[in-house]
Amino acid sequence: MRKPFIIVAAFLFMAASCPAQTITLNNDLVFGSVFPGIPKTITKYSVGSAAEFHVAGISGSEISIQFALPTYMHSSGFNIEMIFFNTDCSIDTLASPSQTSPLFDNLNPWTTLLYRLGSAGLTIWLGGTAIPKVVQPPGSYTATIVLTVAYTGA
Amino acid sequence: MNKKGVERKFAVVLVAAIICFSLSVNSVQAQDVATGTATATVLTALAVSAAQSLIFGNIYQGVAATIGNNIDASSGIFNILGQGSAGISISFALPQFIALADGSDRMTIGFSSTDATVDSNNTTPATVVAGDGWINVNPNLLPAATVIGAAGQTNVYLGGRIYPAVDQSAGGYSGDIILTVAYNGT
Repeated sequence: MRKPFIIVAAFLFMAASCPAQTITLNNDLVFGSVFPGIPKTITKYSVGSAAEFHVAGISGSEISIQFALPTYMHSSGFNIEMIFFNTDCSIDTLASPSQTSPLFDNLNPWTTLLYRLGSAGLTIWLGGTAIPKVVQPPGSYTATIVLTVAYTGA
Repeated sequence: MNKKGVERKFAVVLVAAIICFSLSVNSVQAQDVATGTATATVLTALAVSAAQSLIFGNIYQGVAATIGNNIDASSGIFNILGQGSAGISISFALPQFIALADGSDRMTIGFSSTDATVDSNNTTPATVVAGDGWINVNPNLLPAATVIGAAGQTNVYLGGRIYPAVDQSAGGYSGDIILTVAYNGT
């Protein structure tokens, strides 16, 4: 009667060892200095300026990736319009992800993305465009970008 | 321990395992959320003003009159305020004539290819020197490398020439000179 206990113990260990997925924000989306009236684009390939998230979890598991994207940046009651095009996102699931040559490129950040975690998780990059008005008041403008990931079970 | 006792113990462990597993599975399927930030620093907006009109003063019929771009009291003076050292594109829309207020007569006005000066050091028409910017340049093709001065201001000085006819009607003539300025992103 010892055998069932061993099986149960192993089963418990396996179940408990499955880690939940975690997101780490590596970099914000940084537009830097913007001239009034001149749109500025940060591409997803722009190291240090594009937003970068890293997702860790169970290698090989599929996750859903969903952005909640802002339409404006704000400062003291003033707004700057923001645009995210349907090619502004990229993902790399390789152990050594490349921002400038990602495995999955030109992804639509407005849709739910489904990808499997690589051995080192996956990395997500996001670019965007700011459209300041000609009479845009000077100042520091910010907006929040929310990224939600979840296992799909597949 | 009898067989019944062992089975009961096994059942308890099994239930515990199932509970643990379901909790574990739940934690695996839970979602994670990260919040990033988009940031931008908007620089000073441009402001352009006509500080002084191009003033020809009193003129005689049939006698052309010229105002240089280096006369404090008469040259056209435009002030451009903005982000220090930022690159700008500037262009004039210059009139071909000036007219009486009622439009009953008009007078030809001309601008030569040296009638403008761009001053990034915020001096005056009479005191500006080559090191302050671009001296005696074409008002129809202002320098592409123009920048706002480090102190946040650049001035443009404009001269011109009018050609009154011998039978020019007496009176006050005027015409619009438009300076358009925009950041070029440099």
